[in-house]
Amino acid sequence: MTDLTRDAIQTRLQACTSKETTFKELVSLSKQLERLTDADKTEENKVKGCESAVWLIEHQDNGVCTFQADSDAKLMRGVLVAILSLANGRTKTELQAMDLATELSQFNLSSYLTSSRTNGILGILKQIQT
Amino acid sequence: MAFDANTLRAQFPILQLEANDHPLVYLDNAATTQKPQAVLDALMAYYTTSNANVHRGAHYLSDRATAQFEHARDRVARFINAADSDHVIWTKGTTESINLVAYGLEWCLKPDDEILITSLEHHANLVPWQQLAFRTGARLRVLPLTSKGEWEPEYERYFNEHTRIFACTQISNAIGVKTPIKEMLAAAKAVKAFTLVDGAQAVAHYPVDVQDLDCDFYVFSGHKMYAPTGIGVLYGKPHALEVLTPVQTGGEMVRHVTYNSTEFNVLPYRLEAGTPNIEGVIGMTAACDFLANQDRTAMIEWEQKLARYVYDELKFNTSIEIYSPAVDTTVVSLSVPGIHTLDLNGYLDSQGVAVRAGSHCAHPLMAQLGVSSTLRASFACYNTLSEARRFCDVLLEAIEILGDD
Ligand SMILES: Cc1ncc(COP(=O)(O)O)c(C=O)c1O
Repeated sequence: MTDLTRDAIQTRLQACTSKETTFKELVSLSKQLERLTDADKTEENKVKGCESAVWLIEHQDNGVCTFQADSDAKLMRGVLVAILSLANGRTKTELQAMDLATELSQFNLSSYLTSSRTNGILGILKQIQT
Repeated sequence: MAFDANTLRAQFPILQLEANDHPLVYLDNAATTQKPQAVLDALMAYYTTSNANVHRGAHYLSDRATAQFEHARDRVARFINAADSDHVIWTKGTTESINLVAYGLEWCLKPDDEILITSLEHHANLVPWQQLAFRTGARLRVLPLTSKGEWEPEYERYFNEHTRIFACTQISNAIGVKTPIKEMLAAAKAVKAFTLVDGAQAVAHYPVDVQDLDCDFYVFSGHKMYAPTGIGVLYGKPHALEVLTPVQTGGEMVRHVTYNSTEFNVLPYRLEAGTPNIEGVIGMTAACDFLANQDRTAMIEWEQKLARYVYDELKFNTSIEIYSPAVDTTVVSLSVPGIHTLDLNGYLDSQGVAVRAGSHCAHPLMAQLGVSSTLRASFACYNTLSEARRFCDVLLEAIEILGDD
């Protein structure tokens, strides 16, 4: 969970004009992520296929989903802030109707997303939708 | 022959590139090396003057292609000092070479036999043997080598009358340490095991003499020694190649075929089914020539000097742990406790510095080191001291940026 809206995050990342500025912005965004407790970082909550360790927990309240996520890598935590801003507060049906990868690509993270097959971001998006 | 990395660099067009708005600093050479102009030219010349299938119909181009193809076999045989070019089998790389042996020797394994590897292997020299053990009921045993490549005499007991196959890397890809290969080969031969040496990390740096090593099989990849991707070598002593069951069958590897039987061709063709990677093979000639044209002693001294520079710059930094040896290596593998190697890698990349963060296809070795991944800078002949310095500077910047909480 973060206090930043999707628009605010998108604006910050879109202002980045180089890999270096994107890197620094992701590091800064990573600080917004509410970290999971060690007790929540279970094998079961782990998203498979990620290069760094990523944990994802889903809560539902009247059909509305809230996700919590964490990673042992900072850049990934920054990306998770962006992903959670897309996903939180929606129903499963809404999430399934979304093209999350395309939406995420609007955050100017293309160089992180091109390697998404290996870094597991697609796996995170899929888990959010199922 | 004077060795000068700056002059040599000019032969590698890709090194002129910028990466993420910075001059490219390519220090991921243990993964793959860049290619000199001579290799690029050889590929272009092949397609513009000689392209045809080899060992097939006699026509002008086919003769040219076949001559160059077989010349490459001679060239590589000389490069590794094989006694005869028939001992050189073309494969697509180290991984395929090891698999050819692991499947080809399946017939000789039974339950209670042992396959011995070491704790410093790349997955390519581990998984094929593990799977072979699963298929045959043989045991996979792992000789523990320390991360310094040390081997204690009592480990000789790992070599016993059950040991059928001993497979070992010459140099660890993950941490760059040399293994005591000759002592281990001697122990393996004393128990009459088949021996395979994974030379993937050695060929670009050290002159290789397979007769001096006296192993049954020696395997490597072209792409790690300035040649194209998709070409590799399985060297074998004749008696060892002779007993390999061909894993792949089809055209080229046969002499006579009926619906009821097939007479296989002689070596080396028996183990080379189908149309080979002709351009890759021809690229190997150019890569061997490129290396032979260098002062190899000065070259390896230079590469080791770069690794040593990085080691010395970082060794007193209390936030850094180095897993590579101080000397006699071209690799510096390290971690910064508390900071993910992928994050360090992300910053280095943003500054144009290409290294590798990860487990380097060696999960068991990472477990032995007590880390999940390391950051590896690996040097080649065209790297410069200012690149080594830049790696250190950018790494320290990364630690500062990433280490603030
Ligand atoms: C020691 C070692 N063995 C085997 C391999 C596998 O080589 P290839 O992927 O070219 O088959 C590598 C490549 O990283 C290596 O470093």
